[in-house]
Amino acid sequence: MTFRSLALSNVRGNWRSYSAFFLSSVFSVLIFYLYASFLNHPDVVNGHILGAAKVHQGMKFCLYIIIIFSFLFILYSNSAFLKTRKQEFGLFSLFGMTKSQLRKLVIYENIVIAILAIAVGIGLGILFSKLFFMALAALLGMNDTIAFAVPLRAVWITSGGFFALFLLISVWTVLRMGRTEIIDLLKASRQPKGKLVYSRWLVILTILCLGSGYGMALLMDNDSFLLLSLPVLITVVIGTYFLFTQLSIIVLQFIQKRLGFYYKRTNMLIFAQLGYKIRDNARILFVVSILSAVIMTALGAVYIMHVQGKQDLMKDSPFSLAYVEKGLHMHNVINPDELRRIVKEDGFSFENEAKVVSIGLEKYSITFDTDRSTQLGNGHIEENEYQVDAMIISASDYNKLAKEQGKPQIVVESGKLTLLYRNFNQKVFGSGKATGYINGEKIELPVSGSLDTNVMNNWIKSNILTLVMDDLSFINRISGIPEDKQRVFYGFELKNWEKAAPTVAKLNKIVSPEMERETDFGRPERYSEMSEVVSLTLFIGMFISLLFFIAAGSMIYFKLFTEIQEDQAQFKGLTRIGMTRKEIRRIVVSQIAIIFFIPCVVGISHALFAMFALDNLMNTSNWIYSFVVIGIYVGMQTIYFLLASNSYMKSMLRGSEA
Amino acid sequence: MSVLRSQGLGKIYSTKGNVVYKALENIDLEVGAGEFVGVMGPSGSGKTTLLNLLATIDRPTSGTIEINGVNPTKLTDNKLALFRRRELGFVFQDFNLLDTLSIKENIILPLVMEGMAPKLIEQRLKSIVDMLQIGAIQEKRTYEVSGGQKQRAAIARAIIHQPSLVLADELTGNLDSKSAKDVMDALKEMNEKFKATVLMVTHDPFSASYCQRIVFIKDGKFFSEIRRGSNRQAFFQQILDALSVLGGNFDDVPFARA
Repeated sequence: MTFRSLALSNVRGNWRSYSAFFLSSVFSVLIFYLYASFLNHPDVVNGHILGAAKVHQGMKFCLYIIIIFSFLFILYSNSAFLKTRKQEFGLFSLFGMTKSQLRKLVIYENIVIAILAIAVGIGLGILFSKLFFMALAALLGMNDTIAFAVPLRAVWITSGGFFALFLLISVWTVLRMGRTEIIDLLKASRQPKGKLVYSRWLVILTILCLGSGYGMALLMDNDSFLLLSLPVLITVVIGTYFLFTQLSIIVLQFIQKRLGFYYKRTNMLIFAQLGYKIRDNARILFVVSILSAVIMTALGAVYIMHVQGKQDLMKDSPFSLAYVEKGLHMHNVINPDELRRIVKEDGFSFENEAKVVSIGLEKYSITFDTDRSTQLGNGHIEENEYQVDAMIISASDYNKLAKEQGKPQIVVESGKLTLLYRNFNQKVFGSGKATGYINGEKIELPVSGSLDTNVMNNWIKSNILTLVMDDLSFINRISGIPEDKQRVFYGFELKNWEKAAPTVAKLNKIVSPEMERETDFGRPERYSEMSEVVSLTLFIGMFISLLFFIAAGSMIYFKLFTEIQEDQAQFKGLTRIGMTRKEIRRIVVSQIAIIFFIPCVVGISHALFAMFALDNLMNTSNWIYSFVVIGIYVGMQTIYFLLASNSYMKSMLRGSEA
Repeated sequence: MSVLRSQGLGKIYSTKGNVVYKALENIDLEVGAGEFVGVMGPSGSGKTTLLNLLATIDRPTSGTIEINGVNPTKLTDNKLALFRRRELGFVFQDFNLLDTLSIKENIILPLVMEGMAPKLIEQRLKSIVDMLQIGAIQEKRTYEVSGGQKQRAAIARAIIHQPSLVLADELTGNLDSKSAKDVMDALKEMNEKFKATVLMVTHDPFSASYCQRIVFIKDGKFFSEIRRGSNRQAFFQQILDALSVLGGNFDDVPFARA
């Protein structure tokens, strides 16, 4: 047996504990290769793929994250491996292996693992790269596919980079192995479990940290964001760490005092051991919780932005297609029958339609009594080149539209106008006055106030603002305006409007260029642009999150396996005194479940507070949507947990039978 | 009334290469209620095999076992586990206490597993702990107490659920002579005051001298049986005599662990 074959058989012998680490390494190599192969794809390098610029920066950023993450992950895993194998090394030393030979052995082993991981990772990467390119091409909205290619530069960067990383880390960990007496190495795994102790001060600190962190997150707004974000981060991170090392012990001791619960069959064993499992794994649980929180917050934020963006689009443009005609029976912009025909040809149907006859208020200007800094319209300067118009609609028309759109009904003061004005601050205005030209005649009307809503698209030149007038005054006014000077708003709401961008393009071609500003067909297009950005971000971010997720799980999995021998011995004893297999299973599975899901729960709690803060910052209330992301995360964690507990249970039973 | 009855008990280990090894052959054993019986024999005589069969963690290849009227070999794995839990108590050489539990929790484990009410558990615990004089250490962890205390805790655990039969396997093997005496006194007291039926496997003549009756086996077969008179000192001498007749190697005491 040569030295190298000893290293090889060591890897083979420790395969079970290596496997999770190995798979995570393979996965990071795989994802790194996928990104690198796109960035170094001949078509991208030559600039043949126009959309590539959209993802170029993001992907580069991801490559850095993967490298940094892999560095930390491999570093951690390596030192954890060495710790679990102390006894083995002690034995080697006892038989006379020198320190340098021992180091060489570890480095050999690492090289074997590194080469395997890199080879498998790149192999899988090449296999899946076409699929990756296809998905990317679809998301970029490209018509032709991205050709299959194996850019040598990508292979070279990936293999060279990761090999250097592995080598660097293994040399580093090996040098840190230091001097330990053989007797200590041999005894390493047989140290007794000490008493679980906590410090009262640290517990108070934990509660203070988490409480103040969460409190600050709740109170954070635009003004205090810069001031508070760092303290929130720090307090929550500190609090999470001590949550596992300190608070967990208190909670368990509290449970142990509830005899009715604690003395209930397997509960005693579950919770007595759990304390030790949590204490021994506190650091891992802490890291995994923070990772989970980061993943969920990041993905949740992107998702919420998407939901938010869609809501904003709907609010800005209540109708997916809208335009204004001057003249009651005129069709200068587009004939509604033609529009309907084109829309139906493309397979869309109408959710509802609106035709609102209204009074045009040209060259308008609105000022307010209390808020003198705000002027809407031309600000009484009629010489400006750019003049926009507002529209006045009747209260009954408003209420009809509002009802269809699920918005509250209003009552309008007689003879006064109510302004419909949406702005970012959700600010409403008090009384004021509006001036402008109706049918060529300059008039001035009192304004009673404003509402933060709209019922008609305002991206239209003739309808930059909408004002509501009581029915009686409205009829009086409009009856004095000839039909060809009246304004008509047409609105069409499509079903499945999200996919209507191509139809909109057709409609835009029909409308003559000078009439273009009287239309607002933009919602479907804006939505698909936004969706593209979001789905690209999610697509690129998904792989990184998946990598984090798998690595986090594999850390827990690995930690579990370092304790399997202890567990085997213990359950062997318990089987002898008459513990059934079912009970052992219940104990083991519930412990693993708690270990797997506690970081998940803590991460969710952090993420929810982060989402809530985000909501506050953006003046929205969409944090509930982050449950979509959380749900997916919990689902994936459950799958991981089932796989891990099954595998653990199997090898534990096998071990305790022997 | 007999608690344990085995007839023609045998265990043959065979490997795939058709190598047959008879570990135990035709053992008839009967233990009455409240009896304190020892099984002695040199290394490799089949003591541990016999104990494993009686403990129902191994199945015999021939013969029958009856514990309290039930033949455990006919039970399914799950029922067997429950049977062990309710009808048998175990004391092991290496204590087999869980170091994540306190001494008290280790003792009450069988009752907790049965789902007994906390109040009743505390009552049972108190009477046993008092008798074994381990009340002062019950909140301690296993690594904080001595070997003798650990073994007395193990005896408490083996008895607290009032099993039909307590099986002890070299229970003084890891103890110094003072602790061994304490532990044997404790077991004897349990036998006398709680009417616990005890079957103990040992090769230590001193421990064996606490028994009322000793069965000797050699090479997997029944060899002889001696009964104790009133004097333990005389019985100890009797055992030594029997052992010298028996011959074989008795130096299989493992190293005491720290």
